[in-house]
Amino acid sequence: MKVIHFDRLPLILSPILAAIIFLAIPAGAQDDQNPNSPTPVLLSTEDSTRVLAVNAPARLGRDVKSLKSPASFSQNGKAVLFVTNVRLMKGEDHTAFRIYAEDGLQHLYRFPVVGLEATDKTGEVFAITFEVRDELGVWDVPPRGEVYVSVAWRGLESNRLIMTLGGGSDKTMLPAPSRESATSPMPENVGDRYSGDRIRFLEQATFGPSPALDLRVRRIGIRGWLAEQFDMQYPSAGTPYPNFPLRPTTLPSNCNGQIDNGEPDPDPFCYSNHYTQYPVQNWFYKEAFYGDAQLRHRVAWALGQIWVISGVDIQQSSHMVAYHKILSRNAFGNWRNLMKEMTLNPGMGDYLDMRESTRFYKNENFAREVLQLFNVGLVMLNPDGTVQTDGQNNPIPTYNQTTVGNFTLLLTGWNLCEATLAQCPNRSPGSPNFIDPMIITNPDNHDISAKTLLTYPGSTTTNVPACDGCTGTAVTTYANNSLNQGLDNIYNHPNVAPFISKFLIEHLVTGDPTPAYVGRISAVFNANRTNPTQLKEVVKAILLDPEARGDVKTEPRYGKLREPVLLATNLARQFDVRSFDRTAQSDGVLTAETSPMGQVAFMAPSVFNYYPPEYIVPGTTFNGPEFNLFTTGTSISRLNFVNALVFNGVPLNAERRVTAGTSLGFDDLQSIIAADPTGNDMMDVLNIRMMHGTMSPQMRATILNAVLTVPASDPLLRAKRAVYLIATSSQYQVQR
Amino acid sequence: MKKDRREFLKRSGCALGMTALASQFRHFGLMSALAQKAEDESTSAVPSDYRALVCVFLNGGNDGNNTVVPLHSSTSVSNFAQYFALRNPYGLALAQNTLLPFGVPRMGNLTYGFHPALGAGPYSNGLYELWGQNRMAVVANVGSLVRPTTKAQVLDFAHPKPYGLYSHLDQAVQFQTARSDRQIFSGWGGRLADQRTASDNPGALVPMITSIAGAQLFTAGQTTLPMAISSATTGLDQVLNPRGYDGSPDSQAQLAALNALRSQDLSSELIRAASHVTDQAITLNSSLQSYQEISVQFPPTGIGNQLKQVARLIKKRTDLNVHRQIFFVQINGFDTHRQQVSTHNSLLSQTSQAMRCFYDEMVAQGLADKVTQFTISDFGRTLNPAGTSTAVGSDHAWGNHHIVVGGVSTADFYGINGTNGTPFPTFTYDGPDDADTGIGARGRWIPTTSVEQYAATLARWFGLPDASLAAVFPNIGNFPISNLGFMGAA
Repeated sequence: MKVIHFDRLPLILSPILAAIIFLAIPAGAQDDQNPNSPTPVLLSTEDSTRVLAVNAPARLGRDVKSLKSPASFSQNGKAVLFVTNVRLMKGEDHTAFRIYAEDGLQHLYRFPVVGLEATDKTGEVFAITFEVRDELGVWDVPPRGEVYVSVAWRGLESNRLIMTLGGGSDKTMLPAPSRESATSPMPENVGDRYSGDRIRFLEQATFGPSPALDLRVRRIGIRGWLAEQFDMQYPSAGTPYPNFPLRPTTLPSNCNGQIDNGEPDPDPFCYSNHYTQYPVQNWFYKEAFYGDAQLRHRVAWALGQIWVISGVDIQQSSHMVAYHKILSRNAFGNWRNLMKEMTLNPGMGDYLDMRESTRFYKNENFAREVLQLFNVGLVMLNPDGTVQTDGQNNPIPTYNQTTVGNFTLLLTGWNLCEATLAQCPNRSPGSPNFIDPMIITNPDNHDISAKTLLTYPGSTTTNVPACDGCTGTAVTTYANNSLNQGLDNIYNHPNVAPFISKFLIEHLVTGDPTPAYVGRISAVFNANRTNPTQLKEVVKAILLDPEARGDVKTEPRYGKLREPVLLATNLARQFDVRSFDRTAQSDGVLTAETSPMGQVAFMAPSVFNYYPPEYIVPGTTFNGPEFNLFTTGTSISRLNFVNALVFNGVPLNAERRVTAGTSLGFDDLQSIIAADPTGNDMMDVLNIRMMHGTMSPQMRATILNAVLTVPASDPLLRAKRAVYLIATSSQYQVQR
Repeated sequence: MKKDRREFLKRSGCALGMTALASQFRHFGLMSALAQKAEDESTSAVPSDYRALVCVFLNGGNDGNNTVVPLHSSTSVSNFAQYFALRNPYGLALAQNTLLPFGVPRMGNLTYGFHPALGAGPYSNGLYELWGQNRMAVVANVGSLVRPTTKAQVLDFAHPKPYGLYSHLDQAVQFQTARSDRQIFSGWGGRLADQRTASDNPGALVPMITSIAGAQLFTAGQTTLPMAISSATTGLDQVLNPRGYDGSPDSQAQLAALNALRSQDLSSELIRAASHVTDQAITLNSSLQSYQEISVQFPPTGIGNQLKQVARLIKKRTDLNVHRQIFFVQINGFDTHRQQVSTHNSLLSQTSQAMRCFYDEMVAQGLADKVTQFTISDFGRTLNPAGTSTAVGSDHAWGNHHIVVGGVSTADFYGINGTNGTPFPTFTYDGPDDADTGIGARGRWIPTTSVEQYAATLARWFGLPDASLAAVFPNIGNFPISNLGFMGAA
């Protein structure tokens, strides 16, 4: 085992320094630049596995080598440790670092990092000040005794060293740390250069890597591919939006999915196509499987999990399509514009009852959620997404019930666009207009009294004056102006940037990003507030951030569980998804398959989405939103889903309207393992394609062993077994 | 004396195959904490009877104002006429002759009425009948509180109040965690199981807690990881059964690999967490391979099938070697901002029908007073309606009435008395019980009884000793009474 000590420090540093190409990536750079950050190295005391640390505040400015580590540190105290082999970007501070400690019960603590300082002019060794307590307060203080401590930066964990807390004689003693990652575990032995990073990138930016897509990115580079994506036609030419017309709310007897007077509907698909989300769901999967505009589709999928409406209440496919067009149109657009389009979307108006809300009969539903869920949240945030607290360490509320009441009044009077006006082009008499933006239908329904809005540091317009004596079109104008003032007031709230940035990072990259990462994205969001392509810049920054990029991430809490929809699409895209008989495209009917895993596209159980943005995984202290869908029951449902898809596919089924079915193809793997019956070549390929080169030797041996029990005469079954075992493994279910 | 971890696992019934066991060493820190506790409490005896708590989560905020309604005309407390005057103009009042009447000793025997959906329906006679049988109680005006709170204190910035007041997520979480001053990451059901598992369920083949409604904070303890399975539309033998394994030597090789992979690459805490849950599922699967069907026919609704699955597990209690269990079920859709009249009727009917069938099944299993169902919900709803006519609904509010069925002492109202000397709020906007002020006040009742008091009463009946109350309910000391009496002697 290797321990870093001072005497050898220069030796260890120099090759690493030589290898460091990566810093902030200059614009227009080529993509074969090294995407990897160096792995931080935690300094130990001389010739030992103990961390070099001192009580805070440390007196720096002299040789750290001369510092003496105390034998133990007090629980709930403050200490300083030293890290090297990091190269900081401009503005990158202590919030880019995390300190983990694991005790004898394997409880993992995250110690709050409170300061970072270069110890000398060379900037090679940094002192990190931290508090000895769990940041989230899930566990009590760490127990007296030894803990393993490590530093993480940009998703990379340092070597682990021992630190003693609390002193005393009956303390827990730990064996010498076995895990060391003082040098980057770069998987250059498999794949080509940076193939790990490329596959990881595609897992974050698309519905899953495929061999063809990987090749494309290899040719044109990540930045070239991004540029291509931002201008890509959407939906892709082969998968246009479903286009079923608006229908009456009352189901006609010839389109209700039932047998009336012995007569079924003349068109057996009439009900499913018009009155359910069936066509939208199928379209969604087909675009994910076959579409070229992957990034827009993926970002729209993420945005739809913040601005949630659901087929649980939304009646018609045409209503959902109108809503989804707003998501996709604005996926690389401006947040303020998205806010307005969503606020006036009739599907949203229906789902959260804004269209029922008048000055006589107020409904708070949308007004509350546009603040709480869609933009601001309940507590004041710092620009890096951390929670602001008051003197008593309590979070500071962003608003109160009075604010909700005022926004409710501000948003009264809007309803479906049913007038014979130019602004209601999609009006269809007899069928409610769930396509055009809502309008003030009757000015008398809009409240004309004065309203107070959100107040926050830097707030400008915090009230909307009354429109005394206004009637008719004056009220309509007033309502429109009030709407804009209200949305501006929300958009300008300092929470919006970190709230949205963190949400998008969680959905695309990792469930528990560092404040530094959130802060960098937040800054991009704010720098582009008036830019019509604000979100394009945000998405680009999220995907190119050094915390996202790199061949391997080793931080214990880096990554996210694949939500069921993404698990399905990643498998499908990686293995040549087609119809059940493999002669055509899949029909995208997967509702019954993903439902047991807890997620059906366009059918979120409530406005709170399939899972909350904040979810501490039970028995741990990390934020893992998707884990909210992961239970004893659904963990088995996931195995069964993979089993069905890999070994059987989804066969045709008239009752469920499965017209073409779905299956995966393994032709390439089959020939690889036929050509190399040892299975080694196939495992290499699967390691790159599914695990971006991170498959451990034990994992590989375990799978290969099981694969080789299948006779060599059945290469297809060998291939399927290998894919099944990887896809069901937690190593794959968690996307790192 | 330090017991071997492996021996504990065996003893606790969490025995795993050797392969799986190896994988547990990294992440069964949880179990070793339990093992420690088992030693500490080795003196307490295993309970001689069986008891279970069934938490029925009315997700979205049930309108308690239309669930329990004053029917009387007394002027001493809010009466039907006051209720009707405030809700009828919008179309939200229930007609007097449809309410299901019952007398309330606590209210001087005045008559109150349940929503008609609590009456007889297609699958059972409904919950209403159980009031007459002294198997049902109402706990009035319960809600999230940090400390007892008066109207003046609502307006006093310095008085501690629940975080995220009127927000679904936060208030629902507070009902599940029984802690309203700050976010915590375990639920009171989970913590109750942490306290009682070792002493009450030694050798159990399943965790003390089961959710039929996915991952729920209520069920998460610090050492307890709940079982979560799907509802009765899937048999117990299939809920955790991995498909594709027929016992042939070939499939056994695949199974061995599947299991072995879960003990690898655990330095990632995410991988560790996922593998741990899957390990637990695979282990539990073997305990669920046989079960007897229950005798009562349940409604084929979501809540019906959830409670039916609970009933199956309870019927299997001897096999599973459990003496105390906690279950969690839920019914969605109570966020009735709109079209409340029909929606609420349907939801309450489904709830009442399913809870009654469950009660009847418990009677059949000889457990009528040993299994207690109780409701929780995000919050109550504004007395002042939202919208009008067929679209009429109600908005988020605070205090709410809750229903307890099973081992209750006497059919009555329970809870702490408020400003009118009873636990039932006064129906006046901007009145002494309304958290709202001014002309826009809409009737959001300030709870007089905290979630902690409601929950502690249930936990005590479950067997939680007084000495452990604070471990499960850290803020219980903020409230003068920790037993509301509805489960027996105060």
